[in-house]
Amino acid sequence: MSWRWRDFDHYWHYPPSTPRKVKGGIKAQSKRGDFGQSWWAKRWIAVLESFEIGQRLARGRSYARGGQVVSIKIEKGLVTASVQGSRPTPYDVEIHVKALSAAAWKRLAKDLSAQAIFAAKLLAGEMPQDIENAFKEAGLSLFPGKLNDLKTSCSCPDWSNPCKHIAAVYYLLGEEFDRDPFLIFRLRGMIRDEFLKLLGQSGEKSARRKSGYGQAPVLAPPPETPQEEPPPPEPLPCDLPAFWQGEALSDDFFGEVRVPSLAAALPKRLGNFPFWRAEEPFVEALERIYEAASHAGMDVFLAAAALQPEP
Amino acid sequence: MIVLHAGVNEDQLLLWGEKPIEEGSRTSGSSRKGAQRPQVERLVYDAGRDALSAALTQAGVGFKLSRRRVEERIVWLPTIGKTPLASSPLIAERPSSRAGETIAPWAVTVLRLTMEEALELLSLCVGKKTLAPGVIVGEDLAFWTSALRLAGTLVARHRFLPGIAEKDGVYRSRWEPVLLGTDAERLARLARAMPAVARALTAEAFSAPAAPPASVLSGFITGCVDYLVRLGSPAETLPAKPRGSRKKKPSAFESVHDQWLHSLRSPDGVMEGDEAELSRLSAQVRDWQRPISVSRASPFRLCFRLEEPEAEQGRRGTADQERPRPRSADPLIPCSRVPTLDGESRPGGTSVPSRPDPDAWYVRYLLQAVDDPSLLVEAKDAWAASKQKSSILRRGGFDAREYLLSSLGQASGLCPRVEGSLRTSEPGGYALGGPGAHEFLTEKALALEQAGFGVMLPAWWTGKATKVRLTARANVKSPSMQAPSGLSLDAIVRFDWEIALGDQRLSLEELEALARVKSPLVRVRGQWVHMSSEEIQAAIDLLKKKGKKATLRDAVQMALGATTTATGGVAFEGVRATGWIADLFRQLEGKAAFEEQVTPEEFRGTLRPYQVRGYSWLFFLKQWGFGTCLADDMGLGKTIQALALIQRDWASNSKRPVLLVCPTSVIGNWEKEAARFTPNLPVMVHHGVTRSRGEAFKDQALKHAIVISSYSLLHRDIGVLQNVPWLGVILDEAQNIKNAETKQAKAARSLKADYCVALTGTPVENNIADLWSIMEFLNPGFLGSQSDFKKRFFIPIQANRDPEAAKHLKRLTGPFLLRRLKTDKSIIADLPEKLEMKVFCTLTKEQASLYAAVVKDVEESLDSAEGIQRKGIVLAALSKLKQVCNHPRQLLGDNSPIPGRSGKLARLTEMLEEVVEVGDRALVFSQFAEMGEILRRHLQETFGQEVLFLHGTVPKKHRDSMIERFQGRSDGPQIFVLSLKAGGTGLNLMRANHVFHFDRWWNPAVENQATDRVFRIGQTKNVQVHKFLCVGTLEEKIDEMIERKKEIAEQVVGAGEAWLTELSTAELREIFALREHAVAQ
Repeated sequence: MSWRWRDFDHYWHYPPSTPRKVKGGIKAQSKRGDFGQSWWAKRWIAVLESFEIGQRLARGRSYARGGQVVSIKIEKGLVTASVQGSRPTPYDVEIHVKALSAAAWKRLAKDLSAQAIFAAKLLAGEMPQDIENAFKEAGLSLFPGKLNDLKTSCSCPDWSNPCKHIAAVYYLLGEEFDRDPFLIFRLRGMIRDEFLKLLGQSGEKSARRKSGYGQAPVLAPPPETPQEEPPPPEPLPCDLPAFWQGEALSDDFFGEVRVPSLAAALPKRLGNFPFWRAEEPFVEALERIYEAASHAGMDVFLAAAALQPEP
Repeated sequence: MIVLHAGVNEDQLLLWGEKPIEEGSRTSGSSRKGAQRPQVERLVYDAGRDALSAALTQAGVGFKLSRRRVEERIVWLPTIGKTPLASSPLIAERPSSRAGETIAPWAVTVLRLTMEEALELLSLCVGKKTLAPGVIVGEDLAFWTSALRLAGTLVARHRFLPGIAEKDGVYRSRWEPVLLGTDAERLARLARAMPAVARALTAEAFSAPAAPPASVLSGFITGCVDYLVRLGSPAETLPAKPRGSRKKKPSAFESVHDQWLHSLRSPDGVMEGDEAELSRLSAQVRDWQRPISVSRASPFRLCFRLEEPEAEQGRRGTADQERPRPRSADPLIPCSRVPTLDGESRPGGTSVPSRPDPDAWYVRYLLQAVDDPSLLVEAKDAWAASKQKSSILRRGGFDAREYLLSSLGQASGLCPRVEGSLRTSEPGGYALGGPGAHEFLTEKALALEQAGFGVMLPAWWTGKATKVRLTARANVKSPSMQAPSGLSLDAIVRFDWEIALGDQRLSLEELEALARVKSPLVRVRGQWVHMSSEEIQAAIDLLKKKGKKATLRDAVQMALGATTTATGGVAFEGVRATGWIADLFRQLEGKAAFEEQVTPEEFRGTLRPYQVRGYSWLFFLKQWGFGTCLADDMGLGKTIQALALIQRDWASNSKRPVLLVCPTSVIGNWEKEAARFTPNLPVMVHHGVTRSRGEAFKDQALKHAIVISSYSLLHRDIGVLQNVPWLGVILDEAQNIKNAETKQAKAARSLKADYCVALTGTPVENNIADLWSIMEFLNPGFLGSQSDFKKRFFIPIQANRDPEAAKHLKRLTGPFLLRRLKTDKSIIADLPEKLEMKVFCTLTKEQASLYAAVVKDVEESLDSAEGIQRKGIVLAALSKLKQVCNHPRQLLGDNSPIPGRSGKLARLTEMLEEVVEVGDRALVFSQFAEMGEILRRHLQETFGQEVLFLHGTVPKKHRDSMIERFQGRSDGPQIFVLSLKAGGTGLNLMRANHVFHFDRWWNPAVENQATDRVFRIGQTKNVQVHKFLCVGTLEEKIDEMIERKKEIAEQVVGAGEAWLTELSTAELREIFALREHAVAQ
């Protein structure tokens, strides 16, 4: 690795960073403050921040926000990325995370399946709070520690490891954790479906899923939301009553219409939107919208203009 | 006349219209845009831009027809040869033979409505057949109002989720309806109800539309839901209002989520910015929504069932209604099933599932089959289901284990106890204590249910009727009074509260003991009872307050259930009273008879028995100061019951005037009826330009028993009217004040009087929205403020379909509302089979001046004529004057406008409105074919339904089909106009129960013959005959002559009207002359 005065200078004085602009780089969702919303994303980032690399963290964050990371590839146990710095060719970043052995995963799955909550929460897109403890009890750790489990490298001239490029990738990974709790599992050498299968087997010695259409609707998500077959076309009838009149509706067609006492139950069932970063909290914002909408909907249903005072 | 139609094409609502081809206007349907669409001819009935615009203005919509949105579209209609078939006979008669029908394209003018405009127009159309005279709501337009209302219910019930839609590279945030369970069924049902014309529009004429109704409908509903949700959260409420430019640049947002949230509240929802980022967000939104789409497709849903402590269960011996019994339909899975009505037997061996702690409440997890909700599988069995090779839980590739896990994961966010239960490997539910069960019943169950999970609660909780609860009853003591006379509603009474649980009375000590238990669910004699500590405390407070004071008015309101706030949180049970107050309550509630009054001596005429009851009822409530609404069917004599009441007061020397407000068209009738039945009552008409004002009016009014005025003056002269200390105010046709916000309704409420009476023939009690205004006039405050009323009655009854609220409202209004139908058994017995009434009408100013002109003309020529010539002049004059009384247009023979120019026509329209509303059928006779045509046209436009018209030149085939249609189907035409000369024989029109003689044939025999057409052997209905005549005109005078010498008339009058020509010139002058009060306005 060769270095020039400029790099030396750079190291000592931290001149304003002038990385080359990247078109279509991966931009962090977070525009200010911390990266990562979920506790597990925070936990991941805490590992990075435990390295004492000073200003490089801030640089890494602004690289992540500025879209300097050109690409990220995540495999079992390995993340490879390419990050645009000030030189014409992007630097290559690698983050190796030590994978757990198959036996270790099996042992873990056995422990976890003793409580349905782990599978339930993971399926609902959440990382159960005490999963880390479960790992610990099995003598394992979910998040990589700084010495044993994590190896990072970058092709840049900075002698510090992690450098700002590694930090940028790391921060972006943190955001990915928000979206997909299974990412950490993947880095530790286990993909989601396999793991849930393991959980099922341990709980239920014989859970053998058939392949094909019979596959679980939840675990093996269809590429799109389930769509019904497009209904067959229906030509217009010539019959006069059917053409002009249609059928009558019964009096109780609309059933009981009541404004729910609990606002926005459907979004609440779906839970917080993953990696939500708007200023307003998601569920609270929706609650207000749902409450206000109730009245608009009720008035339209009742056509209650007669009972509304004139302006 | 225009029939408005609406179709949805590419999710947009397009308005178009049909109107009849006007004579001589357009004979050929050539296309204006021939160059563009050479093959498509213009629809001959196309209303066009101007007629659409005029119709919308008449309907009173607030939006203007934008030129930009008037477009050409193609409508595909059933067509025979070159003739498109119109929607209704109002537009064009249908060919008798339907051979060779095809669907063919026609060019038509459409108006593209924005969602805002669509909402306004569709809201106006709810429950209406016409928007204005001659503006008819087509069935397709009516259909879209139902679709909009369905969207309204989805929004009201929070069945929607935020989403993102992409179209042509533009991302738009969108609120999407979520149709689970019954909502999906509803959508399908509504789609089946769609008339084909609602999807018959296309942009081009290449091929006929074939999009299935369901997709057209759901496209429209999605648009409505999106619009309505945004309507609820207008952009002004946004926390971050974009500065400067109206639209926020994407860069102005901190994150794409801020942008999404912002766009979900913006009017158009458009999101600009990096396409990759938006596409990523859109995929995330889909992922986030996925569990809902998964459950929509899943054959089972997770269901939570709250079970009572088992120990109690055993002790009680009887199983709860909703406790399922096991069923062994599937040999591999123990299933349970809610018992069906006939009650399935419980197979031996299997038993009610057991659980760890028999003394605790338990929430059990079950899988419920979506297509068979009574099929339930316990979670503990479902966990093992994946072991089974064949199981009901495996149909359609359903994986019970994973479904349970993910559903429980979702539910755990709503209900922390669910999360707690997931600490075992195969949770089957969780146990909870009394407070927990209470929380589940009152909060969690709702949250889970609203989130789309199934919830099953014990019958004692859901079954409202049998619910045992804490109730408060007021015990009112009657002050010692000899008789209630002289007492008013302002009298002070004392009362104590009494608290009961079910039918058991509770003492203060018992209540305090209950309060110490501190459990909201208490078991009382084998029944679970829900009692919050606030409720118990409120009950204790009530018991401690002894000897409370209230006015009698308050006590009555309480007794009828008007006020419930007095009891704190305790359910209000009613009022118990002793002595004369108890009598009063019983009388008000109709449980005890009130004294029947004798007809006042000076009253000329005999009241029928039911009229005596009505008059006594009016008198009884009036004595107490209550306002009353007499809503008897048309023809039962509301007028004379009211007159009897006025006469009685006048005779008892009150000598204060009663204000009678009625539509202009019946002023004359009231005057006549008063003169006939109460001739010694001084009557004054406050109407017309010569009416007195200020103090002069007051002085004059005080000298009369009845002051008759009209609704239009009620508002205009309110200052003068308020100045008189009225004894009573009577509103005739009180539906005129049904809208509380109108000027006349406000004016009516501002009048002060000792009593108020509303008369109406329309069933006001059926229209809840209208009830408030009338009741507020009669008994102010009884139904609370308008917004209270909306909250307490209108929404619960209309939207929640709450039978309790309906019962409650009935109890509250019932005592003040008397409606008797002519079909009531007790009424029929009192009525003659043929009830004849004269309807006295007034002339409009225009009619009066035409009348005067004709009379002047005749008088001049009479002087110089003799013999045959004189006879001719007299007959011609008679005919002309009758025509004037009918309608100016008939005399003038021009095509001038119809509405607002004839007093008779106005009255006929009002009366037919009642006939149509209650579903009766009517014949309208005129001796003039021209008048018949005017009537048919006017009535068709007013009621938006076909009106049959039979006259001399109708061929027999047509005539027979008209009669058949009138006599036939229940949704056939309700009004049949006949010219009196047309085919006097062979008509059998027994379906009609009203006969209107619009003009008089001065020969009773001819009229009777006409009447008898509806009145034949086998007739079971009573028939009402209404004979119209104009007061102050020859019609009234000739009628008087006939009445005066009825017997002589038979001989003198003979067969025709010729007898009139024999009268002397002086007599004729007297007959022709226009008398006072002939004119209204």
